Order: sequence, then C-alpha cells, then structure tokens
Amino acid sequence: MMRLAAAAFAVGLALSPAASMAQAKYPVPTVTLATHSSAGGGSDVFLRELVKHVQPIIGANLAVSNITGGSGARAMAELAKSPANGSIFYATTPTYIQTTLLSKPAVGYDQLDPMVIVFFDPTIIYTRTESPHKTFADVVADAKKNVGKQKWGAANPASLERIAFEKLNKITGAKAAIVSHEGGGDLMINVLNGTLDIGVGEVQELRSQIEAKKVRLLAVLGDKRLPELPDLPTAKEQGVDLVVSKFRGLAGPKGVPDDVAKMWEDAVKKALASPAYKDVYSKEALEPVALGREQARAFTAKFADEVKASLTELGVIK
Amino acid sequence: MDILSSAVSALLGGWTLPAALAGVVWGILGGALPGLSPSVAMALLLPLTYGMDPTAALTMLAAVYVGAEYGGSIPAILIRTPGTNAAAATTIDGYELARQGRAGEALGISLMAGFVGGLFGLILLTIATEPMAAVALAFTPPAYCALGILGLSVIASLSGKSLIKGLISGILGLMIATVGTDPVSGVSRFTGGSPDLLGGIRPILVMVGLFAVTEMLSQISTPAWDKASSRDTRLKLPSFKMWKRLWKSQVIGCTIGTFEGLTPGGGGSIAAFLSYNEARRWSSHPEEFGKGSIEGVAAPECANNVVTATALIPMLSFGIPGSNSAAVLLAGFLLHGLIPGPMLFQKAPDVVYGLYGGLFAANILMVLVGLVILTPCIWLVNRPKPYLIAFILAIVVSGVYATDASLSDLWLVLIMGVVGYGMRWLGIPTLPMVLGAVLGFLVESNYRRSLVLARGDHSIFIQDPVSLGLLLAAVALTAYSVWSEFIKPARKLKNA
Repeated sequence: MMRLAAAAFAVGLALSPAASMAQAKYPVPTVTLATHSSAGGGSDVFLRELVKHVQPIIGANLAVSNITGGSGARAMAELAKSPANGSIFYATTPTYIQTTLLSKPAVGYDQLDPMVIVFFDPTIIYTRTESPHKTFADVVADAKKNVGKQKWGAANPASLERIAFEKLNKITGAKAAIVSHEGGGDLMINVLNGTLDIGVGEVQELRSQIEAKKVRLLAVLGDKRLPELPDLPTAKEQGVDLVVSKFRGLAGPKGVPDDVAKMWEDAVKKALASPAYKDVYSKEALEPVALGREQARAFTAKFADEVKASLTELGVIK
Repeated sequence: MDILSSAVSALLGGWTLPAALAGVVWGILGGALPGLSPSVAMALLLPLTYGMDPTAALTMLAAVYVGAEYGGSIPAILIRTPGTNAAAATTIDGYELARQGRAGEALGISLMAGFVGGLFGLILLTIATEPMAAVALAFTPPAYCALGILGLSVIASLSGKSLIKGLISGILGLMIATVGTDPVSGVSRFTGGSPDLLGGIRPILVMVGLFAVTEMLSQISTPAWDKASSRDTRLKLPSFKMWKRLWKSQVIGCTIGTFEGLTPGGGGSIAAFLSYNEARRWSSHPEEFGKGSIEGVAAPECANNVVTATALIPMLSFGIPGSNSAAVLLAGFLLHGLIPGPMLFQKAPDVVYGLYGGLFAANILMVLVGLVILTPCIWLVNRPKPYLIAFILAIVVSGVYATDASLSDLWLVLIMGVVGYGMRWLGIPTLPMVLGAVLGFLVESNYRRSLVLARGDHSIFIQDPVSLGLLLAAVALTAYSVWSEFIKPARKLKNA
C-alpha cells in the first residue's frame, strides 16, 4: 500500500513538473498564528477553521496562539519583534487598525505587513418582524419624512457599523439617533423589543433569529448580493450608496520573503476552493476574496485612511 | 417527560457525568483562586472541548460556571478575598464568622445555600424558559440604568458608621468605572494613552486589590496573630434548626437571583448585594449582620448560584450572552455548530435537555466535592501566618497574571491594595467602592444610551414602566436605609 502510494506520488510528480516547482518546502516546521481574540472569539474560530484546511496544503504545523489584551496592541507588539521568516503571523480584522488609531500604541498596524486577506464579512441592516418597514427603501423614505424621529443601533461606539450609520445620516439628512452598544447581542435585544428602528450586524449573529422569523433583513451593505441570501438586495440597489467592508486576513512582521507570502496566497486560494471549507464559510455567509500580498497591502492602507477620516470626522480621534 | 428522559439518558450514557465532575472541580478551583474569574476558568477549558460530544462539552463548561460561582465564596470566607465578583457580599459576614472560629459553619452554609440556589435556578430554567425570556426582552436601556441605580442604592446600608465616608468610597468606585473607551462616543478616557486600559479596569482587579492585598498588608502590620487552635477546623453542614433560620434569606436570594440572571449585564454581583441587604431587612436578627450572621452568608451565596442557571435563559433563547461567562458558553455552542436562539430548542433539544441534566448533576457534584475539599481548605488557612500570607500573595499574583499575562493588571492590583490600606486607615469602607466599580459602567452606558434615544429628554426614565418601578424601589431602599442606619440611632441617642 505504501509503495503504491509512493509510486502514484512519483507518477504525479513526473506528470506535473510545474506543480512540484510551486510546492516548494515551507521554510520553517511550525508556524504560530496569533490572534488578539480569546478562545472561542471571532478571530480564534476563524484561525482554527483556517488551520484545518490550510495545514495539509502548506505542509507545516500551524498553531493558534491567543495573545489577548489591549484590543490587539499586545499581539501587534509581539509580532513586530518576531523573526520575519514565516514562522509567525497575526489574524487581522478591522480591530487592529481601530486600536492603532484610537490608542496610538507603541506598535501599530503600520508596523506589520499585510500578507493575505481571506474573507470579507458581509454586514446587514435588519429590523424586527413586527416593524412597519418592509424594505430598506421604506426606512429611508420614512427617515426623510420624519427627520429626527428614527433610532438606529450599532454594536460598538468606534465600530465600522457606527461609522456607516453616521454616513447614512449624512446621505439622507435623517438626523436619526445613533445608539451604540456593547456588542451585537445587546443591540439585538433593543431591536427585538422595538426600542430601535433598525440595527446593523453580521449574518452569523442573526442566524437563529432569521430562522425563527423574528427579524427581517433589509439590506446588505456590500457591492453585490450574497449568494446565501439571493433575495436580499444591497443598499445600493435601494438607492443608498452605503458599503461596509470588514475583512479577515493575516499579517506578518515586516520583511517576510515574497516566496513565503506567495505560498500562503496559493495555499489560501486552494483551501477556499475546497468543498469542505466552502461548506463551512458559506454557512457563515463569509465572502472568500483571497487577496494576495500587493492587493492586501493596498486594501489595508486605503481602509485605514478611510477609517481614520471617518473617526476624525466623528470627533473620536484628533 | 421528553425533557426528563433526554436528561436522564444524557447523564447515564457517554461522558456527560465525568465532564460535569471535571467541570465542577476545575470551576471550584478557578473560582477560589482570586483574580481568576469564572469566565476565564471556562475559557481555559474551551479548547479541550473541541473534540468532545456537544452535550458533554457544554455540560463541562456550564459546570465550571456553577463550580466557580460557589468556589468564589471559599476565599471570601477564609481570607476575606472574594474569588469572584459575586462573592464580594459574602466577605462581610463570612469572614467575620471565620474570625470567630466559625469558618467551618460558614463554609457549610455557603455550600448548601449555593446548592439550593443552583437547583432552584435550574428548575426555573427547565420549566419556565419562555415566560422568563419575555422578562429579559422587557429591559430597555432606561431599565438597565435604573437597575444599576437600584444596585448602587445598597451603598447606603454598606456604609457602616458614616454615610459620607460610604459615599466617598462609592464615588471612587464610579470614577474607576469611567476609565476606558467611552461607551457612547468611543473616545478613550483616562487611559493615559495605554492600550491596556482601553477596555477599562476590570472590577475583579479592584476587588482583589482592595480585599486580598489590603487584608494581607494589614495582617502584616498587626503583630499578634489569632491562635490557630482556637478555630474549629472541620466543615459543619447546617443542622435542621439552622435551616429553619435560613429559609427566609434563601427565599430572598432565590427571588432576587432569578431576576438578576435574566437581565444581562448586572449578573451575580447586584443579586448578591441586593439579597444581602434584603436578608438583613427581613431578618429577625438584623443586629448580627456585619458581625457574623449566618443569614448574611446564605442570602448572597444562594442568589449568585441561582444566577448560574437563570443567566442561561437569555443566552439559550436569544443567543445573547448576559455575562462574560455566558459569552464563553455561547462560544462553546458555536464551536459545536449549534446556534443558540429561538430555533435551538427545535433543532437540538437533546443537547439542551442533556445540558439541563448535566447542570443538575453538577449541582450535586458541587456539594460532594465541597465536602471533600473544604476541611483541607480550613486546615490550609490555619497554618502559621507568615507562610499563609506569602502563600496567599503568591496565589493572588499568579491568578491575576495568569488571566491575561499582563503586568499592568498586576500593578493595578497592587495599587488598589495600597489604596485599600489607606482607606482602612481612614475608616472608609471599601465595599461601596467595589459596588461603584462593578456597576458604574452599566449605569453610565445605559444612562447615556437612553438620553441618545430620547434626544436628551430625561422623562424617558419615568415613561418606561420597568425603569420607573426600579427607580421607585431604589428611592424607597435608600430612604429606609438612611432612616434605620443613621436617623433612628441618632434619635435614640438624643432621647436616652
């Protein structure tokens, strides 16, 4: 059996010399994937799932390490002083950019180098089923008619969602009250009990309420509809240009060799195409993007500039 | 019937029972270790549950919660250091009893009160999840603000001899709660640019500093020690006669614990303090409170164990974690592909009912484990004081450090210890400060959220019926406490 497998492998090699070139050996035996989220938190779950699917492709041991505290500041500091040989990466989310902007830690996002962006998290506007608003266009029309009457809820005060609602206020002139919370759960209660007109959140937070028909989805804040929710129109289709792009990716210390970054890009692309992984992430309505190094760098820089401008405008940072 | 059979089969087959045992033991240890909160104890176990069957995994996590809420009372009684936020109220009379050589009795009471509370909560969880979930939904931001104010009103009766000193202490606590990210605008406040303070100062650090470190500092500066031989060194479970005295405080603990569990945010601490306060008011021996009252141990310990079960109601029925511990349990559900919320009861009833069975087992196992370990615990704290103090400080320091591997947390605890020592020297009570630090964020964030909703109109607090009721209760409580603590004694003095 062993011999047969080896023979098959040899045949495979002979048949595809190009593939064997691309599958160079990963430079280190063990790679640490660090996250600022604690066990069971968003990025922790993302990494553990990613490890399952990428590890066999990349051919190195992948270990998840939780460096919590300081909303990512400690993990970033740890990363910046680690060797840039592909042995450690950090799971990036908008948090690491926000932390850098808000608290100006010694080591910020700009001292790490984005390597790959794996997913975009779609953001959704919703209301409760009893609400009179059937579509997002209804909400906007009502908000324009009753200026200063509506109440909108976002998860955290410095979150992308709050920024999005502030933008919506500016676009529509609704002067709605924007109430920030301590997380998506808190917010959902206040949408469910009718305190708020609309809330904004992620699909996985809402899944159970969607299935139980307790909430009505109004719009997805993206460029196109989600394959999992084909009937849900985007905000753009309903006449409001509002897009939130939350991302999940990996960044390393500065100076990681290009061939290592390329290996990761290829491995992530291959993993994202596998049916087993597809099953998992499409259930959470994550959008696979697999941006390689150059794209990831450009995306991150642009994203950071936009968030910085918005937070300055809100008066959160100077 | 379906519930019962699922629960029983989950208990008898598979790994649920061993998982519950492991969870309870780990929980009691984690709870008893000052600085290590129940949620951290749970989070540490989370990676171990990846490969387990969902019922066993969730039972283990929930059992840690049950064990930890009880375990927190052990150091509260023995060394005046609450192991968990919710055990802070237990220190008042628990430690007083221990000083009188009645540690075994106090530990026995807290164990049995916790058991009664845990079972009561579990029964509610099993039979009344749906109506109870409606209560959770009725809490709007103004109602949460009012709930926090009701909790703060207890300061009046925790102030000891001087109301002014109590208020000073309470306000210090509220000031601590303002550190961190502003809950509404997101601006960083009083963080001095340090990212470690962005998330605020965790109340458990304040508590560990103010209780454990302060106590050790003042023990060190007292030359003469109590003789160990003068204490009873065995665990003593309450007798039938004592049960009869305790029933009132248990009823109070159960009632208050139920509602606090349902309202995410406040959690066990408000429940414990409120029930301590109410137990005192309704007791036939109110004069014993603060001087070693057994009811003063039973009421808060009963309440915080009720919370371990009722806090699961909003978590299971909405998928909304009311506390850090519930958030870890939620993560446990998600890791096993289960999404808590209205559909959970239809999609995975076997897991839910299995979890109920596991919780039931966990409560019984808690008593058994308690019986085994409490006597050695008492023995341990009766060692010569120099060893003991070094040991306790080592445990406190490692517990705090283990949570986040953060040195700044450690400094905070030590600074709080010195502050507490100073306060004790000045005769300022520390409990109001703890209460302020625990509740400050809840009150402030919901107060400001309500005003954003109402566009600055304060009448929202009166228009919301739940808020109005809680505020009236707070006014009544404060008035009564001020009257009975300060005005009545003063009049008596005048007349005499």
